[in-house]
Amino acid sequence: MTREQAKECLSALRASGADDADPTLQEALELARKDSELGSWLAQQREFDNILVEKFASISPPEGLKEIILETLEGTARPIQSWRMGWFALAATIVLAALLLGQKVDLFRGSSRLFRSFRTDALAMVAVKPGPKLDLETPSLETAEAFIAAHDAPRLDQFPQKLQAIDTAGCRVFLWRQHPASLTCFRLPSGNLLHVVVIRADAVGRADMPTGPYSQNGWHLMFQKKAGLLVMWASQAPMEELKQFIET
Amino acid sequence: MAKKIDLQAIVSEHYAALYRFGLALAKNESEAGDLTQETFFILTKHQEQIRDPERIKPWLFTTLRREFLRKVRTHAAHPEVEFQPAEHEIPAIESSALRTIDGKTALAALETVEESYRSALELFYLGDLSYKEISATLGVPIGTVMSRLSRGKEQLRRALATALEGDPHKIIPLPESRSPEAR
Repeated sequence: MTREQAKECLSALRASGADDADPTLQEALELARKDSELGSWLAQQREFDNILVEKFASISPPEGLKEIILETLEGTARPIQSWRMGWFALAATIVLAALLLGQKVDLFRGSSRLFRSFRTDALAMVAVKPGPKLDLETPSLETAEAFIAAHDAPRLDQFPQKLQAIDTAGCRVFLWRQHPASLTCFRLPSGNLLHVVVIRADAVGRADMPTGPYSQNGWHLMFQKKAGLLVMWASQAPMEELKQFIET
Repeated sequence: MAKKIDLQAIVSEHYAALYRFGLALAKNESEAGDLTQETFFILTKHQEQIRDPERIKPWLFTTLRREFLRKVRTHAAHPEVEFQPAEHEIPAIESSALRTIDGKTALAALETVEESYRSALELFYLGDLSYKEISATLGVPIGTVMSRLSRGKEQLRRALATALEGDPHKIIPLPESRSPEAR
């Protein structure tokens, strides 16, 4: 075995030393013990590998990923994580709502699991009775927008004109899988609420969505991508009323 | 009959390494998380077929890689990064300099390595897979894995040297004899 051949073999040694007893590598290791230049090369190689293993290991998975995987495997819906206290009290309601809403015909079959998970979680959040928990209750869209902006959560730059003219119920900001998101609720003339959930589009992966509003289990929904954001519109108001307000 | 596997223990042991591997492949945190979830989801569907628990680790990495490639083929959303081989000698990198970089810089350097070598390196560094497991995962002979690891490390060394040279935040301390206090 030449020195170059030995180097190739020794490149396969893991920094942990897990392969040090591997019979296939013994000849190269033996050569490194006898040949000081090769020995020195191996020591440098091991140090290089050790540092890199350490550097790569410093990249942490997103907080909560493990729990999400385990919950998914157990078939349990995962509640949205909140920046605020009090959310956990609603968890049971949310899980029930998510289970109910998650069973429907999948119009998003081509979408990523992450997107489908977001849709279920967001629906579960707004489906809470009598209404979703809000961080700020205000009839003023301007005040709600300022609140969302102050918390660095994503929001629509401009709502459709007809929506701008009606009162809001309020808004909330929250984290969905560590990604900031916002909810703005409008009071429609029929008395129903219109919920607008906004999150960065890249937080939910690939989303193959139906174009335009559609109905699911008593809810009318619409997903849109705008300027790098994913927007979910959801309401139990009559479809005609909803269309009137969300069409630009 | 296949033994029932402990999913919780498997997730706990492998999810972080799988996520990092997914991040190296997809270059996107959301997709990496998605790929990791998808991999364990597939494991639950096929757990009855896994007879040897020791094969689970390479199986998980193989599955994640296959899922990634399937998505790439479907969407063609991940252009290959072509490596421009350097013509100069492999630069020496001081360990002390190498220790100053962070994980993301190391990952960015890894991304510049030619794809065929990079796959082996990703499994080696991020998956802690043995050369035999890498051989099985990539479906290439052991000799090829060794050669790819060897050449891949050379390319990675060059890429890291370039990253260190080009880092505007790098602080190069003056040698003692030239520091103001020493004058």
